Amino acid sequence: MAISLKESIYFGFSDFWSRKVRSLVTIIGIILGTMSIIVVLSLVNGINKQTLQWMMERGGLSKITVRRNWRYDNPNNARTYFTWKEIKFIRSLVPEAKYMNPQKNYWLRHSYEDKEYNCSINGVLPDFTKIEEWDTENGRFISEFDVNQSNDVIVIGTMVKEELFGNKNPLGQFITVHGRRLQVIGIMKHRYMKGNNIGNENALSYLNRRTFIPLSTMIHKGTGDDNISTLALKAHDAESAPELRKKLEAIILNLRHGEPVFMIESAQEEAEEMAQSQKTFQIIFFIISIISLLVGGIVIANIMLASIQERTREIGIRLTVGARRRDIFIQFLVQTVLITFIGGILGTLVGLSILEMVSGYLEIKLIAELSMVLIALTVSVGIGLLAGIIPAIMASKLNPVEALRYE
Amino acid sequence: MASLIEVNDLTKEYKMGKITVPALNGVDIEINEGEFVAIMGPSGSGKSTLMHILGCLDTATQGEYILNREKVSHIKKKKLASIRNQRIGFVFQTFNLLPHLNVQKNVELPLMYAGYSKKKRTKLAKKVIAEVGLTDRCKHKPSELSGGQRQRVAIARAIVNNPSIILADEPTGNLDTNSGGDILTIFSELNLKGHTVIIVTHDAAVAKRANRVIHIVDGLIENGDIS
Ligand SMILES: Nc1ncnc2c1ncn2[C@@H]1O[C@H](COP(=O)(O)OP(=O)(O)OP(=O)(O)O)[C@@H](O)[C@H]1O
Ligand SMILES: [Mg+2]
Repeated sequence: MAISLKESIYFGFSDFWSRKVRSLVTIIGIILGTMSIIVVLSLVNGINKQTLQWMMERGGLSKITVRRNWRYDNPNNARTYFTWKEIKFIRSLVPEAKYMNPQKNYWLRHSYEDKEYNCSINGVLPDFTKIEEWDTENGRFISEFDVNQSNDVIVIGTMVKEELFGNKNPLGQFITVHGRRLQVIGIMKHRYMKGNNIGNENALSYLNRRTFIPLSTMIHKGTGDDNISTLALKAHDAESAPELRKKLEAIILNLRHGEPVFMIESAQEEAEEMAQSQKTFQIIFFIISIISLLVGGIVIANIMLASIQERTREIGIRLTVGARRRDIFIQFLVQTVLITFIGGILGTLVGLSILEMVSGYLEIKLIAELSMVLIALTVSVGIGLLAGIIPAIMASKLNPVEALRYE
Repeated sequence: MASLIEVNDLTKEYKMGKITVPALNGVDIEINEGEFVAIMGPSGSGKSTLMHILGCLDTATQGEYILNREKVSHIKKKKLASIRNQRIGFVFQTFNLLPHLNVQKNVELPLMYAGYSKKKRTKLAKKVIAEVGLTDRCKHKPSELSGGQRQRVAIARAIVNNPSIILADEPTGNLDTNSGGDILTIFSELNLKGHTVIIVTHDAAVAKRANRVIHIVDGLIENGDIS
């Protein structure tokens, strides 16, 4: 006659309850370990993702921008804008650029009926939508035809629509800017990206506050000048962007007789630079992650191992009154599995809710990926199980007197 | 009639690194069923070592131990666990109770490993707890009991499975004279009920209650079978 498997599992459970304090302390250790691993890994991951998302939202990695170089004080007063002729010349020299959009913008009052709204109005070409990867939600964007005819048409951002039209449909209506009546032909898609500054809910909201008209309309019917200060291009892919940027730089520098009044940037290179400058952070983050794994693991192992002497004596007592090795093994297995799994699950839940809170506060999307939860659980539950069961197996191999005398 | 316990030329050495400490140097003992034997001897003479081997809690380095006509050295580990559970009750000087379990649960421990149902366990444990006079302390933890009471719990645990042999290694060593006396009375009564009792003691008064005294000096029996 001997104890049944079912019974020994039951004894494992009841034993777990009869030492509430120790079980609780161990569970808390595992909760802390699991939680810290999940939080640190997700924080690191979330911050990395945020940066890349920003680049993608701004037209991707194949985008190149040309704008005024404010760092150059321009002693010889070289021209700080392009003429329409220069634009066409530049375009003819870079046929490998997939798209090109020269751009001019002003801050002007837009009015419709009794409503007024001050915002940025941008003279653009149809390539704008391709370069920014941003198109209309309703109606259409400015066409080649609009540019050729210098049509009096306007495309508006969602905030502009909100301010001037409310719930009314703006398509076909006329907005007055600078004394000219412009017909609304399209409404841009709403842009949104969670900002990473407190209080800045939408990092892209400035884009929703813009309006767009044909560049030719702005030049011929608006200001009368063809001063174009910014230029955006798109290479075929991110890999060829740095090369195109170098070529553009040479062309433009040549146009201005060696005066660096323009700054030419490629998103790909920027991203590379950013990655380079982030490398230090990455290494620090990596070290933090490893430390959190170690700390989590050590906390768990420590709490488990702290009770070895007590547990070995207990095993000695049980062996003395007739427990078999199997009985001891099952009892400690049940206890340890219970403790580590309860701790692991609670730790995951606590970790996830901490992330939720931190996300809300930092306004960064911090989502623990499944892989991170698995890493955390593997480390904490794994160490917990090993630290809990191995000493018990070793102790049950001792003869009763050796176990009782264990120090 | 064959004896219950027969020990021939038993030796035990403890290995501590390179040093070997001899504890038993060829012990011969024979104990019959129903005897009340006291083992006496100076400190360090090997009394506890002998008791542990007799109780199947430790193994000898050399020699023969025959328990109930079976050679213990030939018995498989699993069967040894069952012998400790069914045939032997061991009482230590330091009680060795589980601190997180109450009196009732401590006493039930051997019954658990014997595979008794909960109902049966409760019934048997209650009975022996009553025999040692602790019924009103059933739900107490060992830390809430006096030394004498703890030793009575340990005795209840040792006898709950109704073993034929009860081994006690200085059971009164940590107790005052009064409660020590009570404990010894319990052992006498158990012997009268038919249990074979082997008890280690320094106290000559205790030895008087036994029907045989074995003296052990430096790991050797001094006057073996002479009563
Ligand atoms: N685990 C051990 N490791 C090494 N030596 C030991 C060990 N246990 C006992 N001994 C040695 O074996 C000898 C016998 O010890 P034992 O405990 O059997 O003596 P004892 O007669 O019970 O003494 P006491 O009356 O003090 O309890 C002693 O010399 C002791 O030092
Ligand atoms: Mg001793």
